Amino acid sequence: MAVAAPTARAAALAPPLTARRFRFPLPGALPPPARAAMASFTKAAQQWATFARAWYLLDAKMQPPGKIAAVTAVRLEGRHKPIYHALSDCGDHVVIINTRHIAFSGNKWEQKVYSSHTGYPGGFKQVTATQLHMKDPTAIVKLTIYRMLPKNLQRRTLMQRLHLFPDDVIPEDIQKNLVEELPQPRAVPKRLDEYTPEEIAAFPMVWTPRKYFTVKTTFHLILKKNIEYC
Amino acid sequence: MNQNILFLFQHFRGRKNRCYKLAVRSVRRAFVKSTKARKEKKRFLRALWITRIEAASLEHGLKYPAFISNLLKSQVELNRKMIADLAIYEPKTFKSLAALAQRRRQEGFLAALGDGKEPEGIFSRIVHHY
Repeated sequence: MAVAAPTARAAALAPPLTARRFRFPLPGALPPPARAAMASFTKAAQQWATFARAWYLLDAKMQPPGKIAAVTAVRLEGRHKPIYHALSDCGDHVVIINTRHIAFSGNKWEQKVYSSHTGYPGGFKQVTATQLHMKDPTAIVKLTIYRMLPKNLQRRTLMQRLHLFPDDVIPEDIQKNLVEELPQPRAVPKRLDEYTPEEIAAFPMVWTPRKYFTVKTTFHLILKKNIEYC
Repeated sequence: MNQNILFLFQHFRGRKNRCYKLAVRSVRRAFVKSTKARKEKKRFLRALWITRIEAASLEHGLKYPAFISNLLKSQVELNRKMIADLAIYEPKTFKSLAALAQRRRQEGFLAALGDGKEPEGIFSRIVHHY
């Protein structure tokens, strides 16, 4: 009796244990009070616009595939948005054109090796970047982006939001969705033959080249005529 | 005794949400994980704030290290949680913070590269509150 009573009284007085559902990491895009601040009928359009999925265009002409992939992976994940959260699926679509015209620096076209294994014995395949590019012009960019995305189950979903085209040609329905063109990561230098004669003439001369090595003067040099050319 | 902790394991998967013996073990593990995760939660949230601040400052043309270091040099001692919340809910305030950091950065460059004869920048002055 004396033993039972205190325990019964204590059980009656003790507060009931509430189910504390521990959620880790925090769910949703925003911490709880923030969502309440945004969710109102007048702000509905703003919320829709904030969480909408945009379509970006990126021209890969004369660009290194690594830099293209870095920019694309950030956009696909949604890390370019201040509302980013890993669980909130806030990534965008990226359309990359001209993947046939990417430019590796250095000797990577000959030296970079892409390896794979078919699963069967003796099925280890190694291909240089050139060979892979000839076989499939979008493969290099696709592999680079795939390897830059986080290695989780979301990776495949993000790759489905990536659209690669070897040339300028884009299907109509994708073209209608495009919102913005992203700036190219590498500044493409102009070739000498791309400069107009006016630009060449307007370019300041550092030194005046002497008219020494012309056809006539080399002819005279060969004949060893001692003529002063200044 | 089962009824007290029933709703602790009600949302578990499999037989652990029904059978007491299995549930007891799972509840104990859940509590242990919950205790350990309190430390990791702080790390995770700080990383999330840093990602968000980086995204917002890149929109304004500044990288995250430049932004944070120049804000600290301008004696703006906002923590990453507040800056991340400002970036989401007060975009104009964040833009002015980014402009402040950029201006302080330029003043730092001038001080480092200039002769030193130019007067010190306005935002580079340290204000002593004591």
